[in-house]
Formats: sequence, structure tokens, C-alpha cells
Amino acid sequence: MAAISPQPTFEGDIFSAQLAHTDSNLLACIEPDYKPFIPGNSLRRMTRVLKMGLTAALKCIRESGITTPGPIVTGTGKGSLQDTEKFIKEISEYKETALNPTPFIQSTYNSVNGLIALQQKCTAYNNTFVHRGFSFENALLDSMMLLQEGATHTLTGAFEEITKEHFYIKSRIGFWKDQPTDNRELYRHLSPGSIAGEGATFFTLTGTPTPQSYAAIADFRMLYKPTGEKLSAALKAFTTPPDLIITGRNGDSNYEHFYQELDQCFPGIQQLPFKHLCGEYDTAGAFGLWLAAQIIKAQQIPVAWFPGTEQLSAPVHSLLFYNHFYGEQHIMLKLERV
Amino acid sequence: MITAIGDNVAGNLHHLRLQQSGLGYSNYIDTIYKNVLPVAEVKHASDALFALAGVPVKEGYTRTTLLGLAAMREALQDAGITDVQSNPTGFINASTVGGMCDTEKLYFDIINPEKTGSFLQYIDTLDCADCTQRIADTVGFSEHIATISTACSSSANALMFGARMIKLGMLPRMVCGGTEALTRFTLNGFNSLKNVDKQFCRPFDQQRTGLNLGEGAAYLVLESESFARANNSSILAELSGYCNTNEAFHPTSPSPDGDGAYEAMKMALAMSGCSLEEVSYINVHGTATLNNDVSEGKALERLFGDKVPLFSSTKPFTGHTLAAAGAIEAIYSILAIQHGIIFPNLNFSERMEELNISPVTTLMKGYPVNHVISNSFGFGGNNASLVISKYEG
Repeated sequence: MAAISPQPTFEGDIFSAQLAHTDSNLLACIEPDYKPFIPGNSLRRMTRVLKMGLTAALKCIRESGITTPGPIVTGTGKGSLQDTEKFIKEISEYKETALNPTPFIQSTYNSVNGLIALQQKCTAYNNTFVHRGFSFENALLDSMMLLQEGATHTLTGAFEEITKEHFYIKSRIGFWKDQPTDNRELYRHLSPGSIAGEGATFFTLTGTPTPQSYAAIADFRMLYKPTGEKLSAALKAFTTPPDLIITGRNGDSNYEHFYQELDQCFPGIQQLPFKHLCGEYDTAGAFGLWLAAQIIKAQQIPVAWFPGTEQLSAPVHSLLFYNHFYGEQHIMLKLERV
Repeated sequence: MITAIGDNVAGNLHHLRLQQSGLGYSNYIDTIYKNVLPVAEVKHASDALFALAGVPVKEGYTRTTLLGLAAMREALQDAGITDVQSNPTGFINASTVGGMCDTEKLYFDIINPEKTGSFLQYIDTLDCADCTQRIADTVGFSEHIATISTACSSSANALMFGARMIKLGMLPRMVCGGTEALTRFTLNGFNSLKNVDKQFCRPFDQQRTGLNLGEGAAYLVLESESFARANNSSILAELSGYCNTNEAFHPTSPSPDGDGAYEAMKMALAMSGCSLEEVSYINVHGTATLNNDVSEGKALERLFGDKVPLFSSTKPFTGHTLAAAGAIEAIYSILAIQHGIIFPNLNFSERMEELNISPVTTLMKGYPVNHVISNSFGFGGNNASLVISKYEG
């Protein structure tokens, strides 16, 4: 696994890491030094989310110890916003003449996948899902299908960026909180909207456990625009009470009721929310899953990230992950210790 | 389906038979190239598309969504599905730029704090999920939904993903395809790459200089064989093979020898169990860009040697409809099987110097078509081939 996020997740020990915080309502990634991963001449042309996506993918491959490239499947809700914005503006500014094609090429949603394949000389299956809160989740489903069909492993990930401009655009339709909200206080401010975030997260999935495996995905399910009752029934049918629940709770009063359904389905089970670490974005679920896998493997919680939370009281053998994106795309996933 | 040559499958077949191209000049894109670069535009203003889409005129429905809905309505009706919830049915859509067609006209208002108004209804239509969800919500899909974006191979991959879900027993029925509206953004993108022909595109021709963009949407209803039989569905054809492969050669160009195209066709054929000799027709990607046609042509020669099957590009009819192309051409492949016809590759006059093969140039009728390969190759090295076969149930 590898994650570039607003927290120090790319290098070092997350269990002794500090909690990065801001009250700007926008959690931006701590970007690593890209030079060990991408040659300088390529780096100069690439925009932010391409660098983040490619670097997280390459780090993930290195960490897995698997040298044969396999299928590459990713999800992104918005692709390279920076390139999209730039090309829209240049079309207008230069009156449609003498345009540099690079932002257009990089704005295509599958450009990160193409770069990973190119870098790895990987001719295997390659797919990109672009469906808001189902982007990463469909990539995960596709990957699990590939394993079932006989692939030995897949590189599966997600990437998203938030730009100032897009932050403003989404603020116009109520995506973010009106008041400056410190991410450390996110769950104490139940009001309309959340705080923005971004990140690039990659996983190596294998059909059978390896010594490097963090966790096993036992089951998962997507639900599109369910009612509260439908969600509740699906959650109960999905799993027996797990040892721990990781949730995508984000302080947004508009859709808090879905998380309350979860509370009612599994009362008394320890819950850890993750959006104060990464912010809200289409593919935040990938970060949440990364965190869940870290916790289940280490059987401990990064203490500085969860101030005031007690350590795990009992061993976590199975964990329920539940997230939704603005009430529309819901995912429940069961993670087990290997 | 809906394209520049017809609002439905019958309309498309009619114009294919008449060998009438949909290429012309844009009425609806706001661009300086309006009268310079040909496009294959659907001949309706967005207002008229609401009627075809079967929804009342209101803000927030982009041309991408409306084209998609028009095609979706026909696909469901043709398959005899009056209620998509009558059986568990998934929806896999494909899009390359989502609702850019409408948002690009409003973008500077959207980012201007001094501007406000009903245009804000379009704010969230830029991404690719918007059209998928509006289509899903309008016709009632509530099972699995997804949107794929792998450039020009997007809807071929949507068909593949849906087929795999059925094969693995996840759902008995999937509706798969893609929708694409012309945009100033995409037109300028391809033009900045010097990939657009000022004349009507000439696939596989020595004098070709690029593609023409098009717009449209197409969906196919895929069912498992057992479900289709139990449901008494009328089976039009069988998706017998497919392959998704990445060329890992260059971000926007295919390799000169067509490694990716070769691999995609070879693996898709292997899955279908069909021999090289059994392929009746290849609906090639054939964009008429300098690189694609050399690369794809070389791949055909490498795979089939001196027995390359009949092939043609239908892009001179529809333009290159990007995310919708794979699904549109999959339907054309089915029409070829159903009616025993092979469509001509319009605008061809001179064989390419790099190749020993040339496409079909006249409409061939009464020709038995049993197995068709349909190719879709895209940016990022994303290559996809489908094999569509006559159903011999």
C-alpha cells in the first residue's frame, strides 16, 4: 500500500506521526519528493495529481515486492482538475489558436493509468472508473473480479486533487462548511457541508495472502442512493457485529442520518472516523481503507490522529468499513486480519 | 442509439445503407472552427433532445445526458424492458468529458462570485458520473452503476465490464454503453494535437490527415444466456470475446507496429474460440489519424497475414464519437450480422504506402457475417477489442 494524503502517510511510521491540521476547510496533501520516482524531464511536464498518482502507484509496487506488472485499475472522480481548468482557460485566452495540447492530454481521466503502464512497461488489463463515490469502489470490484478470473495480483488505487477554483465551485452548492472549521474539531461541528480534501492511495491486491499482506477483504457491497431503511437492512445483512468500525463520518448534518443508521445497527462497537485526516472527496474511501488496513495489521491506532480515543480494547479480527459520498454512493466493506 | 446519421437503430441502418455520411459543420458548438472543421453532430438542438430523451425541459440536463437518455429509451424498449427493476439490472456507462458540452459555456460564470442564477444547476454536471446518474435515476436503475473513462475505448470497456459481471454471476442483466456530446474543449484538444482533418475524414487512405469528431450515444442490453432464454428475450447476437490491453508505448500515440492492437484482437479472438478464417468482418477503429491507421493496419497484417478479412471504418458516417464509439460500433457489428451487410469505408481512394491492404469501399449485401471484431483504441494506450458473433443457440 502507499498513500499520499494531507497527513504524513507516505514515509515513516504513522503510529508515531503527528496530526496535520488547518482551519481553512481544505486539507491539502503533504507532497513527497517526487525525484526518486519520476525522471526530471517527465516531472516538469506533469501536473500535481499526475505526480501524486504515479508516485503513490510506484511506491506501492516497490513496497509489495512483486516485480511482474499486473492489471492496473484505478478510480478518480475528477481526474486532473488543474489541467482541465487550464485548458478551458487557454481556449478562451488564446481564442482557440496555437494551444499547447499537454493540459488536454493530461486532463483525460485515464492519463495516470497510462503513465503507470508506460513506466512499468505493463501491457496487462488497464481500466479507469470515474464515478464520484463509486470510482475507487468500482476499481476495487473490477480488481477482485480479475483475481477471481485468475490474475495473481492487481495494482488498484485512486487519486484526487482539489484546486482553489474547484473548492470555490463546490462551495457554491454547499459542499463545504460556511465557517472555518479546524479538522481536529470536525465531528463537533455538525452543520451543512464538510471540509475538502484530496489524496492518492494505491494497493496491491493478491488472490492469496502473502507475508506482506495487511488485511483481507472478506466482502463488500455498494449501494446507490438507498433510503435509511434500505441501508440499515443492508448493513445488518452484511455482517455480524464486527470488532471495530471505521466510518466516513464528516460533520455534514445533511447526511449524518446515514451514519446514525450505522450507529443503531451496531451499538456499543468502537468507531473511528477518518475524514478529519483526509477531508471529503470522491475517492476518500481509498484512504479510509488504507487506514483500516494499517490498523488491523498493527492492531493499534495512530494515537496522535485520534486524540482522546482509547487504544483498541480487544484484538480486531474483523472490521466494518462504511462510507458514503454526499448521501448518494454508499459502500460497506468487511476487512479481516490475515 | 443516436448518432449524426440517425435518432435510432433503424435510422442509422437506413443511412448506412444509403451510404450517407453524418459529417458536416456544427450548429451548436461555440467555436471559431464551426465552418472549418467538420463534425458529425446529432441534428437536434438540446431543446428538441428533451423530447427524444423523454424528460421535461429543465436545467441541469446536459446534452451528454440527453443523448444518453434518448439511446437508453430505445435500448430498453427494443429489449422489451418496460421496468428495469423487474429483474436485477446493472448500468455501466462511459464518458470522456461528462457534461463539458454545457459547463464550458458557463464555466466563467460559475467561477465568478458576482454571477449567480439558474446556471448554478449545471455546476455538478461536469464530471462523468452526472450523466450516468441522471440516466439511471430517470429510467430507474438502482442496482450496480459505474462510469468508465478510458478515452476512445471507454464504452468497449463498459461492455466488457458488464459481460464479466454477468459471467461471474453478479447480475443477470447489464445495460452497457456510452454517451458523448461534441464540445469546444475536445475539438480544440484534438486540433491542438494536429489530429483533425479539415476535409471529411479518410480512414486507411494514403492522403488522410486526421479524424473528425462526432457525438452520439449507444447502449446494449447484455444478458446471460440462461437468463435470456428463461426470459424469452430476443437474442440479437453473442458477445463471444473481448480483450483489454495497454500498449505502454506513448501517452497519445500507438506503436508503429500496432503491438497493442495486435494483442487485443488476438486475445479477444482466442476467448471467442473463433479461428482467424472465421472472422467475416472487422469494424476497425480507423480514426484516419496518421498514426492509428498505420498501427492498426500493421496489426491486421501481422495477425491475419495475407488473409486479412473484409474491414472498414464507419467513422466517416458518425465521426469519432470517443466514449460512445465502442458501443455504436458494437451495434453496427450486430447489424452487419443480422442483415448480412458490410458497410463501406467512405472517402477512401488510395491505399496507404505502408500497407498491402485496403478497406471495403462499397456496400456489400447478402454477405454472410458470423463473427465480427470491433476495435476501440485510445489515449493512454488503452486498447480494447470485442468479438461479436451470430447467436447459434
